[in-house]
Amino acid sequence: MTSAVIIVLREVLEAMLLMCMLMASSSAMGFRLRWLVPALVAGLSGAVIYALLLEEISMSFDGFGQEIINSLLLVMTALLLAAHNFFAVKCLVTPSRIAAHSHWVPMILVGAVAMGIAREGAEIYLYAYSYGLMAGDVTAVLSGGAIGAGIGFSLGTFIYYGLGTLPSARCLQFCCAIALIIGAGMMTQAALYLAQADILPAGEPLWDTSTLISESSLFGELLHAAIGYEASPTLTQIGLNIGAVLLSMIAMWLGYRSGFNRKENP
Amino acid sequence: MRSPQQVATISSRISRVTAMLMLFLIATDVVAQTPEFEIEIREHLFYPSELRIPAGQKIKLIIRNLDATPEEFESYELNREKVIVGNSQGIVFIGPLKAGEYPFFGEFNPKTAQGKVIVE
Repeated sequence: MTSAVIIVLREVLEAMLLMCMLMASSSAMGFRLRWLVPALVAGLSGAVIYALLLEEISMSFDGFGQEIINSLLLVMTALLLAAHNFFAVKCLVTPSRIAAHSHWVPMILVGAVAMGIAREGAEIYLYAYSYGLMAGDVTAVLSGGAIGAGIGFSLGTFIYYGLGTLPSARCLQFCCAIALIIGAGMMTQAALYLAQADILPAGEPLWDTSTLISESSLFGELLHAAIGYEASPTLTQIGLNIGAVLLSMIAMWLGYRSGFNRKENP
Repeated sequence: MRSPQQVATISSRISRVTAMLMLFLIATDVVAQTPEFEIEIREHLFYPSELRIPAGQKIKLIIRNLDATPEEFESYELNREKVIVGNSQGIVFIGPLKAGEYPFFGEFNPKTAQGKVIVE
């Protein structure tokens, strides 16, 4: 049962952090949370479809379909997070937030959350189906999974309401920072998948901090979910990480300019 | 302006360099054939559970899952994770790595499915 707790928690943690941060951000921008419904529907059905097709996906692309799909999902989510930062900053500098509203924002949020849930949810489905349902061990897997999901959901709720208590401008600043860090972490992970498939060069790790913070420790897991912590990253990973940070900063600068211009000439 | 003679020397030099480069690429492709290693998953255990590989070299690891259940080959130290569906196989490229021990585990059976790559 403890394995079920850990497996589910590990997957839920990342998706929940992303979802709850974006929920807080969209509230601060003055959007209603209606986008959450299509995001959850698309994410959960995406997870089941991904899990059901996993065999075919694994065989495709010379046996590297998983790596290709996962890195695509990660890169696209990172791009959507940069786009989110553009609009968040634009809202931040526009005096009347509603004036800065764009119909793109809910779409960006739906895309980012759905892809996050699909990627993480597929593994949970696969595990619960083959080790719970097929193995006739439903109670252990379900109860363990429920505990893991429960911890993940409470952490998510904590993040959402924690960010929600802040003044909306401060909340948006925090959300931008979190989105930037999560996006960069996702690019690092994408680099890892592509190295695993021998598409990107691997190279020896530049440093190793696993003796300080092990990735398998709880703190390491939390850091991995929050900032994409890797104890022994390679040059490619670090390069893509920095690239994602720069991209997000450019998006924020563009958002600042576009919001600021609106203020000057209404 | 370069004289026609100079142009001819330059172009012959370019073609010579290109030919050498191609030869080099073909040669490295033959020499640097990525070594292959295999592990099996049976009854949620890895066989062999200790895999010895050369240091400083990229290797191709083929993981055969003989169980009907899926397993996720995962290693924090190797920075690798891949789901291997039941009764199938998956390939993971590893390294180049420094000498040392790099544990891996099956995420779906973390208590029993454990092993390590020994780089030497």
